[in-house]
Amino acid sequence: MNRMGAVIRFTFMNKVKTKSFLITTLVLLLLVTVGLNIPYFIDKFSGNDDSGTKIGIVLENQPEIAASLKSYQDKAKAASYTFVEYDKGDAQGLKQEIDKGNIDGYLWFDNSEGGVFPAVSYVSNDESLSNGIYTFLQAALQSVKAEYITKGALSDEQIAALTAPVNIESQQVKNSVDGGSANDPKSDNEPTKAINYGVVYILIILFFMTSMMTGNMIAAEVTAEKSSRIMEILITSVSPLVQMFGKILGMFLVGLFQILLFIAVIGINVSLPHNQGVLAEFDLNLSQINLEVLILGLIFYVLGYFLYATLFAAVGSLVSRTEELGQAVMPITMISLVAFYIGIFSMGAPNSLLLKVCSYIPFVSPVSMIIRVGLGDTPVWEIIISLLILVAGIFVFGWLSAKIYRTGVLLYGKRPTFKELRKAMKAYKI
Amino acid sequence: MSKPLVLQQVVKQFGEKTAVDQISFQVEEGEIYGLLGANGAGKTTTMRMVLGLIYPDGGEITYNGKPYGKELQRELGYLPEERGLYPKVKVSDQIIYLAKLRGMPAAEADKNLRYWLDRFEVPEYYDKKIEELSKGNQQKMGFIAAVVHKPKIVIMDEAFSGLDPVNVELLKATVKELRDQGTSILFSTHRMEHVEELCRNITILDRSKTVLQGNIREIKKRYPREEVLLHTTGEVTGLESISGVDSVERKERGYLVRISEVAAAKLILRKAMEDSEVEHFEIKEPTLNQIFIKEVGESNE
Repeated sequence: MNRMGAVIRFTFMNKVKTKSFLITTLVLLLLVTVGLNIPYFIDKFSGNDDSGTKIGIVLENQPEIAASLKSYQDKAKAASYTFVEYDKGDAQGLKQEIDKGNIDGYLWFDNSEGGVFPAVSYVSNDESLSNGIYTFLQAALQSVKAEYITKGALSDEQIAALTAPVNIESQQVKNSVDGGSANDPKSDNEPTKAINYGVVYILIILFFMTSMMTGNMIAAEVTAEKSSRIMEILITSVSPLVQMFGKILGMFLVGLFQILLFIAVIGINVSLPHNQGVLAEFDLNLSQINLEVLILGLIFYVLGYFLYATLFAAVGSLVSRTEELGQAVMPITMISLVAFYIGIFSMGAPNSLLLKVCSYIPFVSPVSMIIRVGLGDTPVWEIIISLLILVAGIFVFGWLSAKIYRTGVLLYGKRPTFKELRKAMKAYKI
Repeated sequence: MSKPLVLQQVVKQFGEKTAVDQISFQVEEGEIYGLLGANGAGKTTTMRMVLGLIYPDGGEITYNGKPYGKELQRELGYLPEERGLYPKVKVSDQIIYLAKLRGMPAAEADKNLRYWLDRFEVPEYYDKKIEELSKGNQQKMGFIAAVVHKPKIVIMDEAFSGLDPVNVELLKATVKELRDQGTSILFSTHRMEHVEELCRNITILDRSKTVLQGNIREIKKRYPREEVLLHTTGEVTGLESISGVDSVERKERGYLVRISEVAAAKLILRKAMEDSEVEHFEIKEPTLNQIFIKEVGESNE
């Protein structure tokens, strides 16, 4: 155990001390900081533009519509949009108004025939209608249209009800009746689900990123040790198993350290005064995180990491030169990509058969299970079976990887084929 | 009391090929044992088996009477042929790490490291990275890494290759120092002059088989003395006509005479003293180099 500790410490300290690690971490942290503050800056720079878009209305053809548009605007109290009325629809004059900056653009109504709502065009210097104006005008005209067609047959409330969009809420069927929230499934479902979604999403991305990054680092380290021939000394000092798992654990700590740094930086940035509103705006509250989901998710995350890490170590031990490493880790990269995409595409359907099957296959089960636990409705026994299979998988692949590692580190020259590897294992009596 | 390291009839096969065929030898306490052989003769495989890196297919290796076990790891030191150290890690960091892996506390390892750095007169390397050092100095660090944990058995594969004469002497002195402290050293090399100076017993391997084994002095006695080295002030003629002389080679300061029987030497000396003044006369014993070439060269034909 003492020696394992020495391996872990050495791996960790040396990785953290390298320049490349320091620089990549710093750059990533800087990017995160910039990314988190971008909404604030966008707000800051584009804020002036949005205040008070002046829209001209030509009364000439449809004074009635223009009037109700105006009254709609008064009721809606949309301060950022004001209407300016013009009696005459003179394209030249209005163009001058736009150029002078009195208005940003104007609405032009065609003549209508027989109670049909006229076609509307918005004329401005811009090539296309900006999203904000479009949404505002559409809502306003929708309401005006309803009023225009019904011609006062309906009350204002009825019109408002008619124009309001239909809401579709998705709700999960509750299995148990005894839960406190069972009577009122709506009470905590919505925000919890959103935050669970976030947690699952972050866990999957973390899983993919860390297992890829640290996995590649492990493989590179093993290959480097092999090519610098220090492996021969190492392997006579400590058993390969201790060495391999020491390295995997050490790298895991490196990854963890990096993640903690990220969390700290995100935390600091979010708690900066000008960013305070962001979380509240999305209606997310960190206290809503389901602890069960987080803990189970982390367990699957860690176990999944170990499964991949052992494979990376084994592959690293087979390669003599760093140049060949990229090609050699391809298959593992493929597997993890498959797992990642199954996860990302299945997030909308957490109870699908695909995910159910995948949660019993070691390499894709971590991602699948994180989703099912976080978003789906998964019985406890399925979680336990999946965990057991995963742990068994780690033992089998750990054992196999240790064997490959033990053999691989002594094989120099070209990358061995499986047949050669088996022969070597027999020859070395491993 | 059993010997620190005993190999008995050790066999190793890689597939069809036999890498090591029935090798036996033993290393005493405080002895440097020479393992000689051409490239690919099986030296490194033998050493790897001694280190427990690979297991023999036949025969057995015992250490103080016991077979290989985990506790042996702290008693073994290894200097591989291709020096293995982390290029980008500080000397102190990695040597203390390696000592810790062998079960030595960090403080003691640090003390030993400083002792060895002082011994090699390079205490300033403590904080340097391996890649900043010259090849010879890297080798010294490799040597320190092999002995820093005070092993009982040290295995050195080509310890002196690539070193300048000054450093070879320095390293030789330290190897002798280790020997005098009771360390058993298994030593492989191509360079015969080192073996003659350091080793008492040797084994010469050729194509996985032992071709010659034993005490160096006894081995040499088995080979006839075939050369006479003669330095004279003037010219000596007619050496070829002496019975027992095979050939005469003119050298810068005299002659190298090959003889087929030792009795001819006396006649050569007499003749030389008659003709000129003798500065140097030596009946040369065969060098290990010659023996090696004779043994290995013959079997190669």
